[in-house]
Amino acid sequence: MSKVILEVNELTTNYVTRFREKIYAVDHVSLKVEEGKSVGIAGESGCGKSTLALSLMGYYFAPLHYSSGEIIVDGRNISGMDPDDVRKTILGREISYIPQAAMNALNPTQRVINFIEDVIQAHYPKTTKKEIYELARERFELLGLPAEVLRKYPVELSGGMKQRTVIATSVILSPKVLIADEPSSALDVTSQKMVIKMIMDLMNKGIIKALIFITHELPLLYNVTDDIMVMYAGQIVERGTAEQMVFDPIHPYTRALMGSIIVPEAGLRDVKLAAIPGTPPNLKNPPSGCRFADRCKFVKPECRAISVGLRDAGEGRAYRCIIPEEDLRKAYQSEG
Amino acid sequence: MKGYRDYFLRKLGWFAITVVVAFILNFTLPRLMPGDPVAAIVARMAQGMSNATGVQAVYEQYTELFATDRPIPEQFFIYIRNVLNGDFGYSISQYPRTVGEVINASVWWTIALQFPAIIVGWILGNTLGAMAAYLRKGFDRVLLPVSLFLSNIPPFGMAVILLVIFAVNLKWLPTSGGYRFDMVPNSSWEFVWSVIVHYQLPFWSIVLITIGGQAIGMRSMAIYELNADYVKYARFLGIKDSKIIRYVFRNAMLPQITGLALSIGTMVFGAVVAEIIFNYPGIGSTMLTAVLGGDYPLISAATLIITFMVLIAFFALEIIYGLIDPRIKAAQSE
Repeated sequence: MSKVILEVNELTTNYVTRFREKIYAVDHVSLKVEEGKSVGIAGESGCGKSTLALSLMGYYFAPLHYSSGEIIVDGRNISGMDPDDVRKTILGREISYIPQAAMNALNPTQRVINFIEDVIQAHYPKTTKKEIYELARERFELLGLPAEVLRKYPVELSGGMKQRTVIATSVILSPKVLIADEPSSALDVTSQKMVIKMIMDLMNKGIIKALIFITHELPLLYNVTDDIMVMYAGQIVERGTAEQMVFDPIHPYTRALMGSIIVPEAGLRDVKLAAIPGTPPNLKNPPSGCRFADRCKFVKPECRAISVGLRDAGEGRAYRCIIPEEDLRKAYQSEG
Repeated sequence: MKGYRDYFLRKLGWFAITVVVAFILNFTLPRLMPGDPVAAIVARMAQGMSNATGVQAVYEQYTELFATDRPIPEQFFIYIRNVLNGDFGYSISQYPRTVGEVINASVWWTIALQFPAIIVGWILGNTLGAMAAYLRKGFDRVLLPVSLFLSNIPPFGMAVILLVIFAVNLKWLPTSGGYRFDMVPNSSWEFVWSVIVHYQLPFWSIVLITIGGQAIGMRSMAIYELNADYVKYARFLGIKDSKIIRYVFRNAMLPQITGLALSIGTMVFGAVVAEIIFNYPGIGSTMLTAVLGGDYPLISAATLIITFMVLIAFFALEIIYGLIDPRIKAAQSE
């Protein structure tokens, strides 16, 4: 077993609303990423994916607040650290982030190189502009981006180029962990492919050591990441390898999620698309039992009464359902 | 770069058209006012004259001097020719001073009063607004209502309030004038001190109002920018707040610069109220006497100056915009 780069134990974070209500958008989430591995996180809109991305960085600002749990980066527990220290020594350097909306992620009135200068000098104040330029040029060229991009303003770059510039900027300090929050969702298919290739390059070229990739597209994760976790209403409902999750899901929600997405794989082409009926529960008052119960095809009376933890299914797999694995599989078979 | 140059050439063309139209209006409108200003001078000049033919002769001499006996179109062409030679003619109400002399004596008082006041008010207002957006809580809760209050007091109201408090009740500062009434402008320390003392009330009445309006605008712009994606991204890459504030300030400043250019351009006009209340010897007071005396040449020249100042301010604004915001420069270069 290789070295664990990122370990998250029972992390819980909450939003505080205007009326001082707490909403737990990330609820006791645990995960482990080994060196050289990548984990995908999938789920519907509003399931807590993006909040998880923000929570994993160990730096919180209103309305998001830390509640409990730990984040351990390369053996160092950052969840108890002073926020200013986290910002100075962890963000951008140990853990870095690619935001969802790369279109607006760069300051419109600043050249790309000036922003990179600010990023590097925030962590290494003594670096000269010349050194930074050389470093940035090298890194951009390594990732297949022309060096002219550095001298440009964001407005002069195309959408795909902007996104790739953001990615290259995020990893300028070679962080150990990279969290990518839907980095390709807003792009056309060609740019999407380039972005995905670039992110995989980051791993292959050893610039980053671990990747967390967040998206609502399960099939995309299958191609990018080693493991996949599915989130629902702030909780992990199932985790396993990409292969298992896509072709052999255990949890009814994972299965429904797969069934509602176009998969271009041969043999699956004829499967009818099925939307999942209903909407996720309101997290202000989460249901006491299983949070998916209202939308589940296989719901039983006890589902609404008892809340279930993650159940181990061997080989690192786990799922959150009161119905045992064998019974679920039988139910799926009879369904066809 | 060619597109960028073309953009400004096109802009210049439009400005030229504006100048021509404004010039025609500046000439025509005052002359449509009822009343015969020449008769007023003649009445002044001919005081004590009992000879009716003598008075008639004086009147004819002055109508010829101001060419008010000719048809307006003809007057217009004479005016154009003179203005192009830098001659704005004689002032009617302050005859025998020329319009050039009258304006030259008053416009610098106005510029020295208004320009610093607008700049100081703009800088203070924007800084306070940005601080309110960033600090929130108590600071914002005090600043916002105060700014709303200040910005909604009409200029004459602010001037009168300051006048009553500091000049009439406390007697700290003089009530009116640009310097002590018994002094003649010179370069002695006594005179300079007198000017400084008389400067305070009109200056602060303009500054306070400017602060209010600017702080409100900057506050809401900065709150909007503080929630922008680039702020979040910069934070997550470990950049300090002190640096991020600078990004926010620069981006939030853009609409504020429009306001600054507008108030600098129209400052001569904006001067009227404060100058009249404090009886300040600037162009505002001069304009008032000109209008009351039906002084066509002086009104036309003063409004022409305002036109030029607004146009120059806007032209400078276009260039400054392009320098500050690359998005606008890109749009200009298209």
